[in-house]
Amino acid sequence: MIPKGVSLNPNSRKTRFARRFICALSQMRNPRPVSSSNEEEVRKRSHKIKIAAYLSMARAVGSRRAWSRALLFKLRTRARRHNIMIGRRSLCLKKKRVIKNDPLGELSQTNKLRHLVPGGKTMDMCSLLEETAHFVTCLATQVKVMQTIADHFAK
Amino acid sequence: MEPNLGTIARSISIRPNREETGLESLQFREEIHRLMIVPPENGSSFTALLELPETQAMELLHSPHSDKGVTVPLSGVPLHGINDDHKSYLPSFNGNLTFPSNKVLIERAAKFSVFASGEHSPETSSVPSDSSANLEKVKSEPADTDSNPNSSQLLVSDPTVNIKNQRSEKRKEREKKGKGCTKKTKIEISQDAEKLPYVHVRARRGQATDSHSLAERARREKINARMKLLQELVPGCSKISGTALVLDEIINHVQSLQRQVELLSMRLASVNPRIDFNLDSLFAPESGSLVDSNFSSMVSPLLWPEIPFNGNRQQHQQQWNFDALHRPLWGREEDSHTFITMENSLLSYDSANSASLHSNQLKMEL
Repeated sequence: MIPKGVSLNPNSRKTRFARRFICALSQMRNPRPVSSSNEEEVRKRSHKIKIAAYLSMARAVGSRRAWSRALLFKLRTRARRHNIMIGRRSLCLKKKRVIKNDPLGELSQTNKLRHLVPGGKTMDMCSLLEETAHFVTCLATQVKVMQTIADHFAK
Repeated sequence: MEPNLGTIARSISIRPNREETGLESLQFREEIHRLMIVPPENGSSFTALLELPETQAMELLHSPHSDKGVTVPLSGVPLHGINDDHKSYLPSFNGNLTFPSNKVLIERAAKFSVFASGEHSPETSSVPSDSSANLEKVKSEPADTDSNPNSSQLLVSDPTVNIKNQRSEKRKEREKKGKGCTKKTKIEISQDAEKLPYVHVRARRGQATDSHSLAERARREKINARMKLLQELVPGCSKISGTALVLDEIINHVQSLQRQVELLSMRLASVNPRIDFNLDSLFAPESGSLVDSNFSSMVSPLLWPEIPFNGNRQQHQQQWNFDALHRPLWGREEDSHTFITMENSLLSYDSANSASLHSNQLKMEL
C-alpha cells in the first residue's frame, strides 16, 4: 500500500523541479566505462549537472519571478554561445568575466547580493530583497531534492 | 490633553484601538465592518506578502480582526499590547506594518471601499460632512528601525477621495505617538498638502514633512518590511539586529546554499555513471524480464520517503498493473532477506532494468 500520511502536492514546485532535474540527469550521456575518475571529466560533468539543476529550478518556477527570467536568459545565451563556439571549432572564448572593481577594494553588501542573485544587478533595493527571499526558498528546495537524489544513488 | 472630537477616528486603522464615540462611532464601525468584507486571499502566505504589498496592505486593512479594537484612550495606551495584537493576526508579518504611501494604495483603498460598501457609499460620502470619517484614509505604521517598535502612525489619504472637510479633519485627527505613550497629540500637516492634489501624509512629531522625505520614509519602510521577511527565512537571523549584519548573514546563507548545490552536483557526477536510467521506461509497460520478487523487494527499502512524491505513485500503480503484478507491491516487507536479494539482483541486472527500478525507487523517495 502507499504509505499513508506522506502526500505531496504533485504540482508543487518541489515535485516539478524534481521531475525536470531527474529528466535532465537521465538525458546526460555518461561515457562507459564508468568511474573513469578523470578529474577533468568529473568536473565537466558536475558543472553540467549544476547547470541542469539551476535550469530545471528556473523552469519549475517559470517566468513569474525576475530572477528565474534572468537565469533562464543567461543560461540560454550561454548555451547558444557555447554551441556557436563549438560549431566554429574555436574554444578559445573561455575568458573569465571581469568583475567590476569597487573603488573601496571590496564589494559592498548590496553589491554582493546583486552578484549572487541572478538578475540582481538591475533591480532596486526593494525588489532585490524580494527576489532574494524567493531565491532562497527555491535554493533550499533544490538542495533538499538533490540531497535526496544523491543519497539514493549512494546506497 | 486630547480634543474630545479627536476621539473620533478619522481613518481605518490597523491598530485596533480606534477612538470612537457616540453615533459617529456606530456609523463608523458599520462602515469599517462593511469594508472588512473583503477577505484576504492569501494573507498569510509569504510570497503573497512579497508580491502584493499594496493589496496585502489593503487586506490587512480589512482584516476582520481590527474590529476587535477596544476603545482605549490614547494616554493610557500600552502600545506594546497593540503590536502583540498585530502579531496575533498577522503571523507572517511580524512587528510593524508598513504602508507605502503612494497613490496606488489609495486608489485601491478607494476601490475597495466602493466595492465593499456599494449602497452605503452615499452614506460614506455623507459622513464626511459630519467630518467624522474618511474611510479612504489609511493609517500606517512605519517600521522605523530607529524608533521604538511601537511605532506611531502615519495617516495617508488621497485627496481625490478626501475632499470635504480637510480642515475639520485636521482639527479632529490626531497623531499618535510612537515613543511610549504620550499625552500630547500634535497634528502636523504640511500646509501645501491641503491645497495640492498630493498624497496627504501626517507626519510624526519632529519629522520633516516635505514630499521627498515622506517618499524616502515610505521606501525605507518597504525595505524594512522585506528585510524582516528575509530575516525570518534565513535561520538564525532573527536575533541579529542591524541591517548590515542581517545582510551579511543573508549573503552567507545564499553562498552556502550555492556551495551545497555545487558539492551535491559533484557527488552526483561521481555517482551518476553507475546508473543510467530513463524516465520513459517508467511509463511504458514494463517487460516481463523484471523479476517479480525483486520488484517487491525494491519497494521495501524506499518506504521512508523523505520527500514523498504522490503524483508519481499513481502512475507507478498503473504501471504495475500493466505488469500484471497482482501483489501488494507497496507492502512493507522489511526482511533483511529481501534487502540482500535486492542488492544481488541489482548487481546482476543489466543496466536498463536496474535503472528503471532505481528510478521507481527514487520516485518513491522523492
